[in-house]
Amino acid sequence: MSNSSVYPTPINAFKQSKRSVLSVIVDNEPGILARIVGLFSGRGYNIEALNVTVVDVESNLSRITIETLGEERVINQIIAQLEKLVPVHSATNLANLKESYEAEICLVKIEFDNEDQDHKILNFADIYRTRTVQKRQHLVVYEISGTSERINKFLDDLTTISGIKVELVRSGPIGLGI
Amino acid sequence: MSTNQEITGAEIILQALKDQEVDTIFGYPGGAVLPIYDSIFGQNFLKHVLVRQEAGAVHAAEGYARSSGKVGVLLVTSGPGVTNVVTGLTDALMDSIPVICISGQVPSHLIGTDAFQECDTTGITRPCTKHNYLVKDINKLSETIHEAFEIARSGRPGPVLIDVPKDVQFAKAKYIPKSEVIFKPHRIKSGSSEIDAQFIEKLLEHIQQSKKPVFYVGGGCLNSGPQASHELMKLVQKTNIPVTTTLHGLGCYPGEDPKSLAMLGMHGTYEANLAMNECDLMINIGARFDDRVTGRLDAFSPNSIKFHFDIDQSSINKNVKVDYHTNTDITLSLKAINDHIERRGVNFDQKQFDQWWSQIEEWRGKNSLFYEQGDEVIKPQHAINRLYELTIQKDTFITTEVGQHQMWAAQYYKFSKPNRWITSGGLGTMGFGMPAAIGAQMANPEALVIDIAGEASFLMNIQEIATAVQYKLPIKIFILNNEYMGMVRQWQELLHGSRYSESYVDALPDFKKLAESFNAVGVRAKNLSELDDAINEMISVDRPVIADIWVDKKENCFPMIPSGAAHNEMLLSKYDKEKPENQEKGKVLV
Ligand SMILES: Cc1ncc(C[n+]2csc(CCOP(=O)(O)OP(=O)(O)O)c2C)c(N)n1
Ligand SMILES: [Mg+2]
Repeated sequence: MSNSSVYPTPINAFKQSKRSVLSVIVDNEPGILARIVGLFSGRGYNIEALNVTVVDVESNLSRITIETLGEERVINQIIAQLEKLVPVHSATNLANLKESYEAEICLVKIEFDNEDQDHKILNFADIYRTRTVQKRQHLVVYEISGTSERINKFLDDLTTISGIKVELVRSGPIGLGI
Repeated sequence: MSTNQEITGAEIILQALKDQEVDTIFGYPGGAVLPIYDSIFGQNFLKHVLVRQEAGAVHAAEGYARSSGKVGVLLVTSGPGVTNVVTGLTDALMDSIPVICISGQVPSHLIGTDAFQECDTTGITRPCTKHNYLVKDINKLSETIHEAFEIARSGRPGPVLIDVPKDVQFAKAKYIPKSEVIFKPHRIKSGSSEIDAQFIEKLLEHIQQSKKPVFYVGGGCLNSGPQASHELMKLVQKTNIPVTTTLHGLGCYPGEDPKSLAMLGMHGTYEANLAMNECDLMINIGARFDDRVTGRLDAFSPNSIKFHFDIDQSSINKNVKVDYHTNTDITLSLKAINDHIERRGVNFDQKQFDQWWSQIEEWRGKNSLFYEQGDEVIKPQHAINRLYELTIQKDTFITTEVGQHQMWAAQYYKFSKPNRWITSGGLGTMGFGMPAAIGAQMANPEALVIDIAGEASFLMNIQEIATAVQYKLPIKIFILNNEYMGMVRQWQELLHGSRYSESYVDALPDFKKLAESFNAVGVRAKNLSELDDAINEMISVDRPVIADIWVDKKENCFPMIPSGAAHNEMLLSKYDKEKPENQEKGKVLV
């Protein structure tokens, strides 16, 4: 991209933007999500996906998983800023761990009209080993899980079938270091 | 009082403040804090200072904190009471000042109903505090207050707000003293207390290899405590390395010492900025590579190895990439370095930097703070110079407003000790200085406290004169009256073709009469011959004084590195003109 403006391109621009998944352990207290979301919006960082759930009832801890885009320096700055928040125990870039696993879940509702479409859908569902949640005439609901990339591919493949109507929901990635 | 006894939330707040050794609180009452005001009534450990607008309370608390090293505390009511302190909380966050704000909130059962004077206080103040709380459970109140104090003063200090609904102020519980509260380490973020031996080795190694080193000292050195300045002094004397300080670092190293290059940055000295530009080793002690200091980033000190001491991990590599860093408290690190030097008997070649020093002397020879004082109209720089010379014998605290006068104060008033210089740097809040002076005077009753002001800034919190009068605080407001928002006028002259849009401060009050109407003292100097008398009268009166000093209306503040320019593209005087292409670039920046 050429920069014809007199305004210098800020260093924080997404020069070599990389997708990163951050895992944040926090005290589960009021306002914690607002604090994190506010940090991202206030400093101009991106949130591509966000997941929050209590993971330890006894110690009252939640794990927040955030998918974000940015070059390494920006990601490191985000982590340092997250760790400054009082209720935050730790913030980790999963990519920096020796071993970590990611998963995402997605529900896809597909409406179709004819048998040809039905066949093609079934074929992809089979390849991607989806779970059938509901099946009726002209409608099927699948559950697919795995890495976000795998889900993206499945959804891409569905777009090759013309005339069907797809509605979906995704949990955003979650991940765990081993 | 037996610890088993249940007391009200309002009483718990007072107990906790006592436990935290708070002796002064700045505040303004209202419906949602009446129970707390009831507890303040008739007790005698806590002195309440009634300000005239809540903005005054928060700046006073900042001034109190900065001048004493303690936490500043304020108390405000819900709704407009707390929205009035948003600017001050942001100011304290930007400048790392420990402040506790206790705000009243509508009763719990009314929260969310748009009740009278209800606002989403924790929502509004979340981005402008280090942390904040809404206390819904009376049983958590004591611990919350103690944790809040711990958070405000530890690590990189900052403002913490505690919102207390009115019903919680009435509810009863046992008070939990500070000594019984166990803090969770992850919530306190106190920075590392471990000395990084490798960092120290590397630093000493680089010092010995360096030809052109410089210390770049910021507010973190101040926040680490006076001992940090002491250790810095020792290290500088041993190594013979020049020192430049940021706006907030002034006083961390004595301004009159020959090793001091004075302030750097947008209005810093020629020698400080060129030393930063040309150094081969930069040792940053608690400064944050602010844009007012770095100028154009890609031209900032291009050939130096950079060491960074900062307790705040997020300051490292934020604006400028550094080669080595430590997050350990500055006092601990500097002391460890000095100890290491002594223990190992490390010797520094006193000739090693001779060439560097002679280069610096050459830059110094430019005398970048030169000004021409004629015999009639007072030059603002001269007014500060005289103020300095006539107060040098006293223990003086200087606060400022924001504008040209602030920069002239930073350039011409010299500080020999930390905590004597209190100014709004990060946020640049006009109206900061006078209430901050009130806070500084409360913390230092015997000291001479002077707010170096611009007439426009002073008008922003002028109501606080009444506070100074009521509490017999003999603060001095030294106005460099140029009838302009001078700094705005300067930018318009340099970057906007001298179109002085709305920067003339018309319809000014007669400051002398104004002082008298508040029962303060007014003095005035209209020309050079009246200047010293005015200053002497101002200092000698043991009452609040407004000194209206008429200065040259067209004077500009130099040197200046225009926004977006590099350190070696400094304008030294009105005869230097900004390159047109830089004007265009600078205009779009702040
Ligand atoms: C609350 C606030 N509003 C606006 C500004 C922008 N501003 C910076 S300096 C300045 C002019 C200050 O004028 P004065 O107090 O007379 O000081 P001088 O520059 O003339 O010394 C203004 C408007 C600011 N810093 N703070
Ligand atoms: Mg002015």
